Amino acid sequence: MPLRAMKRETGEALTLEWALHVNDYKLTHDRKYCVGCQICSLACPKEAIRVEKQPKITGQKAEKPKIDVDLAKCNFCGICDAICPYGAMRLTVDGKHALSVVEKESFPRLIRDIQVSPARLQGDARECEDACPLGLIKASWHTADGRFVENLSGLTEAEKQGVHVQVDVDVEHCPCCRECEFKCSEGLIQVGKFLSGKIDIHTEKCPEGCTDCLGVCPIKDALYLSNTDNKVHVNETFCVYCGACKLVCPVNDALELKRTSIRHTAIRSGAWNKALERLTSSVEVAKELKSKRSLKAAQSVKKRVGMKVTQNVP
Amino acid sequence: MYREASAEMVGTVRKTRKRGRIKVQKRPRIGVFVCQCGSAISSLLNVEALTQYARTLPNVTYAENMNYPCSHQGQERIKAAVKAKKLERVVVAGCSPRLYEPTFQSCVSQANLNPWLFEMANIRELDTYCHQASPKETTEKAKDIVRMAVAKARVLEPLQPIELPVTKRVMVVGGGIAGINGALDLADMGFKVYVVEKTETIGGYMALLDKTFPTLDCSICIEGPKMVDVGRHPNIEIISFADILKVDGSVGNFRVRIRKNPRYVIAANCTGCGECKDACPIEYPNYADMYLGVRKAISVPYGQAVPLIYTINRDYCIECYKCVDACGAREAINFDQKPEEIELNVGAIVLSIGYDMYNPKDLEWTSYGKSLNVFTALEFERLILAAGPTAGKVVRASDGQKPHSIAFIQCVGSRDLSRYEYCSSFCCMYTLKHSVMLKEKYKDAVDVYVFFNDMRSNFKGYEEFYNRAQKSGVKFIRTKLENRRITEDPKTNNLTVNVETEDNEPVSVNVEMVVLANAAIPASTAPELAKILNVPLNKDGFFIECQPKIRPTDTDVPGIFLAGACQGLKDIPYSVAQGSAAAAQAASVLRKDSWLVEPLVAEVNADLCSGCKVCMSACSYNAIRMEKSGDKETARIVEGLCRGCGVCSSACPMDAIKMPNYSDRQITAQIGAVMQKEAET
Repeated sequence: MPLRAMKRETGEALTLEWALHVNDYKLTHDRKYCVGCQICSLACPKEAIRVEKQPKITGQKAEKPKIDVDLAKCNFCGICDAICPYGAMRLTVDGKHALSVVEKESFPRLIRDIQVSPARLQGDARECEDACPLGLIKASWHTADGRFVENLSGLTEAEKQGVHVQVDVDVEHCPCCRECEFKCSEGLIQVGKFLSGKIDIHTEKCPEGCTDCLGVCPIKDALYLSNTDNKVHVNETFCVYCGACKLVCPVNDALELKRTSIRHTAIRSGAWNKALERLTSSVEVAKELKSKRSLKAAQSVKKRVGMKVTQNVP
Repeated sequence: MYREASAEMVGTVRKTRKRGRIKVQKRPRIGVFVCQCGSAISSLLNVEALTQYARTLPNVTYAENMNYPCSHQGQERIKAAVKAKKLERVVVAGCSPRLYEPTFQSCVSQANLNPWLFEMANIRELDTYCHQASPKETTEKAKDIVRMAVAKARVLEPLQPIELPVTKRVMVVGGGIAGINGALDLADMGFKVYVVEKTETIGGYMALLDKTFPTLDCSICIEGPKMVDVGRHPNIEIISFADILKVDGSVGNFRVRIRKNPRYVIAANCTGCGECKDACPIEYPNYADMYLGVRKAISVPYGQAVPLIYTINRDYCIECYKCVDACGAREAINFDQKPEEIELNVGAIVLSIGYDMYNPKDLEWTSYGKSLNVFTALEFERLILAAGPTAGKVVRASDGQKPHSIAFIQCVGSRDLSRYEYCSSFCCMYTLKHSVMLKEKYKDAVDVYVFFNDMRSNFKGYEEFYNRAQKSGVKFIRTKLENRRITEDPKTNNLTVNVETEDNEPVSVNVEMVVLANAAIPASTAPELAKILNVPLNKDGFFIECQPKIRPTDTDVPGIFLAGACQGLKDIPYSVAQGSAAAAQAASVLRKDSWLVEPLVAEVNADLCSGCKVCMSACSYNAIRMEKSGDKETARIVEGLCRGCGVCSSACPMDAIKMPNYSDRQITAQIGAVMQKEAET
């Protein structure tokens, strides 16, 4: 058989495949999770991912851009899978999720710092499920003897004493917006963002009545429409700096977004430096490289002198 | 005609051509020798009458007829006649000058006559062969031909061969098994050899095979040591991953421009340890595995590669530089490497660029490319190879299961007038090899069918191998080459082979895997190289040898020789033999300090040349350059490249270019001789 390179597209997913005789490489782009934020396209080392902006129809809500992957350019490296904040890309080799770029430390893993402490639950955990704008939180109850509880109110007070609650977060698809941290019982879930930056909306430049950015923002409370000036404003507490809003903004410079850092596992890789530069800026790359160098220096000094050196990270 | 002047023809060699004319004798004494050619001439025309007629022609002082003047006795008689009758010109009326002109030229030079004072009258190919029914007319036509030859002989001029210096180095293009043998032979003879290879490694197709027929020797185990020998030989330099851009010059002194493509690995620093490969996260389909398996973005196509230098495929590399870290202090990786152009000077070139495999995707009946379990023979070779992507397990593409029945289909694309008319020559034998290997490996667990039209097992040990295949239980089904069709069951991915026997009986066989013996085709680089080297291709796209029977490794270009499948498809032992043959041919050039060529090379009279360059555009061989001559630019003929076709001479508006031996004076003398007859009747 000649190389079987295939591309299939359905409403739910875009699938690229290299079906070799012994290995099967498959990249699936799940439209359900994709928010059209462009991060994969910026990180792709082969420039194989194209973000197609959808035409705006006056009077209708702005549509999120569509992602297209060029089969001829894609090398099935899985960097898009590793970087997507929403977990919309998935690379499998022979049916198994495999990220050789991450295993070989050519690309970092994003650090999704999510701590769940069910002991701190007060009241109904349903509010946590509702708190997640992406529906990634699932709460379930079990009695002391391990029985699954369908409905809490059907239990007696005595029975309720022994009920054990479990809160599951679909970490893989979580962009770490922190809405759950604020909306659930205090301290139940603690989230650290992996993307940080700065976002500003210059409302004076916004066209009258435009809510395009708000329409595509996947995080419910990151953007809101103010009652006072009828313009969209930002709540940076929840913004994940994915940039989906910026792509649909009809006015140049009305929405300013700058990513400053990305929390990731420590690695040394040219591919990451380039991706980081495209996702943030060269200044941020320089900063990261500098910190890596001081880390390395500290390690080598420690190895030689056998003493602890205070790390000087800018 | 352009060939080496034989040693006997050399009188005093002149290094530069004299422009002055040699005085032509007014009344030279001409001898005419008419050949009977067994019955090929004598039975179809009156040889005696022709000889009588020749005696009546002006200046002919002697004429005789004999059987086979080309024989030893015949040549002796001509020599004796030249001496006894003091002949100054010799005309032989016989066959085509393409065959025997050199023989007679050396014959007359042994009789102390300049070889270019000889003229041949072709009364066989141009006369008796084409008018077999009318002996009277053939005699009349032969008289005309002889009269023309005598008329030209009267004004022939003595010429001297041209001497070209020889560079004692050689380039072998293509490092397959033919090129490897040619290179090793030449290097052992003491010549410096450059092996220029397009891919990353030498070895060619043989390195990708599992076994060789009919002995079932492990292919790479035989070729590997030879590849290593090439890599280590002090006289051989491998220039791999390189393309030939331009070839100038001619026999004895070719100037070759080569582009070394960047590997992004510094050859001198790479130790071939493979640590970079282990660090690399990226895999891509490997051509050496026929895209059935993968290789890393920094890798070698297979372990036995020579030279063992890793290559980064920048189409797939993500530039994480993990390989740079892994390489460490060896510092062999350089992402800034650029293509590098180099120039070689060589005296001879051996062309051994091999072949390609036809992709049968466009042959609808094969179902190749659509049905998952239809493979080409080379893909099957990689499947059954222990070092291949499946570690030697023959498994189907659809479900990874071992097939219980396999059909081999012969002549896919070859012997097909709509694709390739020729026979690919080695498919019958490799199919026998595959079927024997399957039977020996899986015994009765697999049924093997071979659908063939003619089984071509016609060399040493091959017929015996065919018998072995028959005894091992392979079922041979003779079919017509038309109306074959392979269909797939969409549920099971099993295949049905529908064929017709020679008696038009339809036959259908259900199998779980099909292997196609797809045609071998000329290398994709052949047309470009043919243009660069001026070596013509035949209608199929293989290089044309000088003479198919007796000069199979020469090309029409002196100093360029052919070896292996690029000349015509052939199997390993014949490629090896031809590699050595071409090496010997090349050595016959290289061992000389200078190379003598026939003086049939155009001459420019610089005084008449106006520098209009019309001749340059007329020349098909790039043999004309412009050169400063006094205060103007005039044309100059590159003697090593000129083939003496005469096109420039007729194109020149100033009549400044002369073709020796075909001068206006000589040609008009011949025309005059024919017109004279017209006037008489």
